[in-house]
Amino acid sequence: MSVWTFLRRIGSVWIAVIALYLLSGLASPAMLTLHQLLNVLQVAAFLGVVSLGETFALLVAGIDLSVAGVVTMTNILATAFMGGHGGSVALGVAVPLAVAAIVGMINGLLVAIVGITPLIATLGSNAVLYGGALLYTGGAPHGGTQPGFAALGQGSVGGLPASMLIWFAIALACTVLLRHTVYGRRLYAIGANARAARFTGIAVRPILVSAYVASSLLAAMGGLLLTAYIGQPALGIGDQFLFTSIAAVVVGGTALTGGVGGVGGTVGGALLITELNSITDILRVSTGVQYLVQGSIIALSVLLYRSIDRARRTRETM
Amino acid sequence: MMKSMPRRTLLGAAGALVAMPAFADVISSAKMTASGGMVGGAATKKKPPYRIGFSNGFSGNTWRTEMLASLRNEASHHPEIKQLIVIDGQGSITKQVHDIQNLAAQEVDAILCIANSGTAVAPALRTANREGIVTVPFNLPVSGTEWTAYTGTDPSNKGYVLAKWLRGALNGEGKIIALGGIPGNSYTAAAWAGAQKAFAGSKIEVLAFKDAFWEEDKAKVVTADLLAAYPQIDGIWADGAQDGAGAELALLAAHRPLVPVTGDDYNGLLKLYARYHASEPKFDIAELSEPTWESVVALRLALKLLQGEQVPKETIITPQLITSANYSQYIKADLPDGVYVDTNLTEAQLKTLFG
Repeated sequence: MSVWTFLRRIGSVWIAVIALYLLSGLASPAMLTLHQLLNVLQVAAFLGVVSLGETFALLVAGIDLSVAGVVTMTNILATAFMGGHGGSVALGVAVPLAVAAIVGMINGLLVAIVGITPLIATLGSNAVLYGGALLYTGGAPHGGTQPGFAALGQGSVGGLPASMLIWFAIALACTVLLRHTVYGRRLYAIGANARAARFTGIAVRPILVSAYVASSLLAAMGGLLLTAYIGQPALGIGDQFLFTSIAAVVVGGTALTGGVGGVGGTVGGALLITELNSITDILRVSTGVQYLVQGSIIALSVLLYRSIDRARRTRETM
Repeated sequence: MMKSMPRRTLLGAAGALVAMPAFADVISSAKMTASGGMVGGAATKKKPPYRIGFSNGFSGNTWRTEMLASLRNEASHHPEIKQLIVIDGQGSITKQVHDIQNLAAQEVDAILCIANSGTAVAPALRTANREGIVTVPFNLPVSGTEWTAYTGTDPSNKGYVLAKWLRGALNGEGKIIALGGIPGNSYTAAAWAGAQKAFAGSKIEVLAFKDAFWEEDKAKVVTADLLAAYPQIDGIWADGAQDGAGAELALLAAHRPLVPVTGDDYNGLLKLYARYHASEPKFDIAELSEPTWESVVALRLALKLLQGEQVPKETIITPQLITSANYSQYIKADLPDGVYVDTNLTEAQLKTLFG
C-alpha cells in the first residue's frame, strides 16, 4: 500500500489530529488530560455540526457563506422564544430550524434555478440574515435559555459532553445519508460533474437545493448547541464560523471543486481547528499567530490533497 | 463599542486639567475633566435651527444601541435641533469616511462621530472642520487636533484602576489571566498598558493575556483552555465585563471557585455576581463603566459650540466604579445581560428598548 493510498484511506486529517494532539501534549502536558480532551470535544461540537452542513454545500461544488448569519439568527430566535417566563423550548428550537430551512431553500433556488454563483447568493443571504437579526432585536437582543436546553451545550452523559455526543450522532446520520443512500451517491455525482449527472438522468436541481437546505439546517443545529453552551443572545455570534466552517471542511479533505470528500474528514477538520485554537491558547500564542497558523494549515492541506489527487490520477493512467 | 482605536495621545496635550461638574441630569455622579484649553466662541456660532449629523462607526451591540437611544432622546428635548441624521458605518473604515464626507456635503451644522479608525477619519473631519462644521468625535479618539472638541473616557486609566483594584482584592499576590477585546484594538492595548503599571512591583503573576473579543462565548472557550493549563487562577483582569462573565462561566463549568474579576458596566456580570457571591466567597467584582450617555455629552458640547459658547477641547469622563459595595444600585435584575447600566435612560425606556 502506497503512502498516498494509506493517507487517503485513513484520512490524512486524522493523522494530523493525532500528531497535533501528541505534539501539543509535549508542549503542554495539560493538553493530554482527560478534562482538556473532553473540553476540546465539547467546544469542537459547535464548529463540527456547522461544518457538516458546509460539507454538503462543498460536495456539490458550491459554498455556503450564510452559515454565519444562520447561526446568529438561530441564537437570536432561540433565546427570544425560550427566554423569560413562559418561554418555550419547543418554539425556541422549531422556529430557528424552520427559518433555516427556508434560508437554505432560498439559497438553493438562487443557485440551482436562478443560476447565481453560490458565493454571491449565500454571501447575500448572510447579509440579509444579519440585517434581519439587527432589525428584529433593534440592536438590543434579549432572552435566554431554559435549564433543560442548556444541558445540551453544557451537560454531559456518562461523563461525555452532550454536545459532542450530538455532534457524533449527526455525523453518523450524515455519513449514512451520503455514503449509503441513492441520494448520497447522486449528490457526489453532481458535485463531480453536474452535466454528466444530468445526462444520466439525475434530477440535479432538487439535489442542489437539498444540499443548501441541509447546510442551513445543520448550521442552525450548530447554532442551537452554541446557544445552549452560552445561554445568551449575542449579535454576531455566528461570525466565527464564516471562515472556520469552510476551513474545517477543506482541511478534512473535501474538495472545493466538489464530488470528493466526506463527513469523516470534516469531523477531523473541526477537531483539528479547535485543537489548534486550544493549544495556542494554552501556549499563550497571540491571536495573530493563531490566524497565521490556521491559514497556513489550510493552504498546506489544499496542497497535500492536490498531491494525493495527482498521485491517484498518475496511478490510474499507468 | 470599542474598535480600532489608536492609542490615545491627546491626554498628555498641553493645558491644565480643570475639574468640571457632571451634567446635572445624567444618572451618574461621574466627574469630567477638561484639557487642551478652550475652543468655540464666535468662531463656531451659528443661527438655529441646527442640523446635526452623527457618523456611527457601526451598530449592533447593546452599548451602541443604548448610546444611540440616549442621543435620540437628548435631541428630542432640544427644539433648536431641526434634524438629527444618523449614518451607520457598518464597521467599514472607508464607508465611514464617505459617510462623513456626505454629511459635510449636506451642510450639516455639526458632525458627531465614533470612529472605526481614529487615523482614517481624521482627514474627513479636518475637511469638515475647515468648512466651518463643528466636529465632535467621542468615545474613541481621533488623531491630530483638527476637530472641534472631543469627549470620552481614558482607557489607560481604566486599565490602571481595574488592575489596582484586582491587586488589592488579591492582597498583592496571586496568579491571574487577562482578557482583552477584538485583536489589535488599541483601546485594550491602552487599558492593558495601564494595568501593567498597576501590577508593577506586586507579586501578581500574569499567566496569560488573550483576546476574547468582548464576547462571552469566546471568553468562556479561551478560559476553559487556560483552566486546563493553569491549576491555580486567582483573578481575572478584563477591560470588558462580557469577557469577565464568560471567564467566570468557564470556572463554573469546570467546578472551580469563582474569583475576583474586572470589566465594564455590563449587566450580565452584575447578575452573575448577585447569583453566586453568597456561595462563592472569593467571587468579587469591579466594573468601571463606559457610559452610554457619552453621546449626550457630545451633543451638548456641539450645541454649546453652535450657540457660541466656549467648551474644553477635550472633556474626559471619569467613569463609575461599580463594586460589591454599590452594585445593587446599578444592577438591572429584570433586564437582559447585555444592558450597560451606566445609562441615562429610564427603566421604562430600557424595557422598551430591550423588548
